[in-house]
Parts: sequence; C-alpha cells; structure tokens
Amino acid sequence: MAEASLPLCCLPMKEDRMLPDFFQFHSPTKVIYAPGIAMDFAHELKSLGCEKYFVVSDGIISGLGLVQNIVDGLTAEGITITGEFLEVGQDAELQNVNAIAAQAKASGAGGLIAIGGGSVIDATKAANIIFSMGGDLVEDFSGAHLLTEPINPFVAIPTTAGTGSEVTFVSMIYDSENKTKMAFADKFSLPDLAVLDPELTVSMPPGLTASTGMDALTHAIEAYVGIDWSPISNAFAVAAIELIFKYLPMAVENGEDVEPRGGMLTAANLAGTAFSHSMVGVVHGMAHATGGLYRVPHGVANGILLAHGMEYNFEEIKEQLARLAPHMGENVNGLSQDEAAGKSIEAVRKLTGKLNALKALPLKLSEVGVPKDGLSKIAAATLEDGTCVYNPREVEEEEVLKHLENAF
Amino acid sequence: MGLFKDAEQFETMLAGFFNLMAKTPVIADKLLAAKMVIRFKYSDPDSVIVVDCSGDAVDVRRGDTDTKALVEMSMSADIAHKFWFGKVNLTAALTRKQMVAKGPIPKVLKLLPAIKPSYAMYPTYLNENGYGDFNIY
Repeated sequence: MAEASLPLCCLPMKEDRMLPDFFQFHSPTKVIYAPGIAMDFAHELKSLGCEKYFVVSDGIISGLGLVQNIVDGLTAEGITITGEFLEVGQDAELQNVNAIAAQAKASGAGGLIAIGGGSVIDATKAANIIFSMGGDLVEDFSGAHLLTEPINPFVAIPTTAGTGSEVTFVSMIYDSENKTKMAFADKFSLPDLAVLDPELTVSMPPGLTASTGMDALTHAIEAYVGIDWSPISNAFAVAAIELIFKYLPMAVENGEDVEPRGGMLTAANLAGTAFSHSMVGVVHGMAHATGGLYRVPHGVANGILLAHGMEYNFEEIKEQLARLAPHMGENVNGLSQDEAAGKSIEAVRKLTGKLNALKALPLKLSEVGVPKDGLSKIAAATLEDGTCVYNPREVEEEEVLKHLENAF
Repeated sequence: MGLFKDAEQFETMLAGFFNLMAKTPVIADKLLAAKMVIRFKYSDPDSVIVVDCSGDAVDVRRGDTDTKALVEMSMSADIAHKFWFGKVNLTAALTRKQMVAKGPIPKVLKLLPAIKPSYAMYPTYLNENGYGDFNIY
C-alpha cells in the first residue's frame, strides 16, 4: 500500500515521531451552523447570561441590510441591542477599538456582537478586552496571555469565509498614528459563540470569495506542515482542506448556491482553529511582506504564493504533503513519497488555475502591481515577519527571492 | 530550587552572554535595527536585565527597573537558561505561562530569527567563561 494512502493518524511523522513534544488544544467557542441561523439565535445569547448587546460591523455589511436583519431577529426574541458601531474600516484600527469599547460601555451593554469579516471581528475582539477590564489597550494588554479571568460575552458572526477569526484568540490591530500592527493574544479573548450562516456570505463577489478561500486553504496547509503541528490541529486542517477543494470553485462559480457557501464558511472556521493552534509559515511571511509593500490583498497574495511556499519547504515537508494529496482529490496509489508530495502542489496549482479561469484570482505577482525590482524588498521583509519562526525550513533571503521570482 | 544559587551568579553569567551578543555584528546589527528596549524580568532567583537597542550600540544594563521598555519578558531563570540553548518552544512557553510577554509580540517574533545564531554561541560561551557546569542541554 502506498504510504500516502494510509489513514491520517497511522503514519510515522519525521524521524518516526507520531507526537510532538508539546501540544495544547483550547477551543471554548461554541459554533452553530445553519442557513438563516443568524436571524434566529437569541436563545444562545440568553444562555451566555446576558441579554443586552452592542453590535459592531462595517459600512458595507450594514449597507447590505445584514445588520438590520440580524438585529430584528434578536430584538423580536427579547434581546436588547443597546447601540451600534458600523464604521470599522479595511483594517481593524486602534481608534475604532477604543470607540467601540467606550460606546458599548456608555450604552449599558453587557456583551458584544461582531458582524463582518476579519477586521470587524478582530476590532471587536480587542475592544472586548478594555470594554470588560477598563484600562488602556496598548499600555495594559499588548502581549500574550495577560488576561487572568474571563471577560464579557462576545459573539462573532463572520460574513466572509477566510480568516477564521471567529475561533482564534489573536486580534491584529493597526495603530495608524504610529503606523504599527499590534497583536493581542489571549485565550480569554476567544468568542463565546460563533454563528456560521452561509446566507450571509452569498453577496461576496467571485474575487473576494476566491481570495478569502485561498487564505483559508493557506491557513490549513501551513498549520499542517508547520513546526507547531499537533494531531488535533492536523485533523482540523485536513477537514478544512477537503471542504475547500470540493467547494471553493463552486462558491466562486455560483455565489448564490448556499451549500458551497456553507462548505467554505465551515472550512474557514476549521482552518482558523488549526492555525490558531499551529501557526502559519513562510507563505504568510511572503504575503504579509507583499501586502505591506505593495498593498496586495492578503488572500490574493496567499493564493499566488501558496504553491511556491510549498515548493520552498518541499524537502522538509514532503512526508506531510504526500499525506495531504489524497485529501486534495489526488490519486497517489503506487507513487513514491516525492511524487505524491508533488501531487499536492499540483493540486493547489489546479485549484488556483480553475479560479483564474473563472477570472477570480490572479496567478502571478506581476499581475497585481508588484514590480520586478520589488521582489528583493519582499524577500528582505519576509525574513522579518514573525510567522517565519514557525516555518519548517529556515527562511533565507536568497532562497525566498528565487521562489518570489518564480511567482512573478 | 532552580539551577542558580543566587541572582549575582545568574545575572553575571547571562549579562556576560548578552554583552557577547552585543559585540557580534550578525546579531547586534539586527537588534539595533529594531530600536527596541527589552526588559527581562527573571524569577528564582529574582533579577532584571535591560537590553537597550535604541542607541548606536546595544547596551546591556543589570538591575535597571526604571527605563521604560517597549517589551517586557518575564520568566524563571531556568527557562531563560534553557531558551538560550534554543530548547524552548515559544508557543508552548507562552501558553503555559512559563514566559509572559508584554508589549508588541510581532516585534518580538521578528527578533527571533536575528538571535538564532546565539543558540550555537551559548554553550561555547558557558565553557569558555567558567560556566561549564551549566552546559546541560
């Protein structure tokens, strides 16, 4: 029997190791899923011991009427919405976070509901810290695991299928005054409830569907091959990968079809849990650098760079890649480990090729405004990205540059 | 009871290593580029070392509790010792509260590749400076 076709947990890891030295799994967020459930989940809020909530979203989601529909459903069931902040921008900005906390407190709310993409959820996640504890977010809470007790109820309702922020404990906040990104990482920051309603995502255009989906796929694959892998995060990553390969092209091709939308929303959630425990690596490092220098959207950059990052790490992760290939729909019977591993990269390329044919995803850095002479800057910035710490192969500038040139 | 008999022993040993890093261009240049001030707060034995990268050279100061630091890293002396061998999983240490990091974590993570060469330097430093008994990892 070819090694790659063995069941997931029956295979030896590198150096015959089936377990890492250490792993942890902490996922207290209750996840509920159903088409239309965002209009009918008041009973879940009551069970959190709070019936007064402040709602956070952005102008686009609000403009589509989604916020009002959700609020109407909740108020009809006796939940009080004490106020709304609908101005979160493309980045989760510190001034938004402070405003959310202050307005929520003044409104008499006991909990927060975020309705939106990663920025809205991250901004609300961070706001809940100072809404609950008081103090100054940056001075008092910037860091890792500084909270010592649970904070106020927090509900996340994602309207995109990519970041998985509804099940991660980190919020990335941009301080526009000091032009820095800050991380607030704490297990008590995790949402109490994640409401997955695929009907909320049908309005996403094909390009955004493809790029957020590729972001989720990158989370899953990098979590699976990263140095902080665990058997539990691997299970989440594999489930996410299977759903993405099945549903992403369908969600792009026919956005109105709720089943693929549900598949992608679930996949993003699973991938979020996976990478929240196992981190990401050089693909995210390159994508962060590309986005920072040339404003390439994060999901687009990940979509372009994922296969190249897998190639960068190939020698270190071929065993894992060989195991993943069947979950991507590839037949690996009779293949060597190298060949089976290569199939997983081929599968990613087939997927991005399909998305490109649907005019939903560019395939090259040269197509998204990156100049050829900018590649060396991206390579240098990649080395400074914190995600590279978790990459299975040492991240070296010259080697990264070669793969960026391939992606160009 | 930890590995070190008192703060003087631990601080002298670790500050000496930090000074060695400060004189090693491949590390110091990257630390200086980050322009950060980091305070390390150790327990068992209690001690404090500030690594100030805000000037033209890396300045290592023992017992500095006054300077405002961008990042504060708290940990036991034993964990700190193990860390410089490259034997501490940062995620595990943070989640198990063996280390507590206060400040901009992305900036701290950015420094990890910069200090990587120091892991190989640490055992040699211990042997060459009379701390061979602590060369245990």
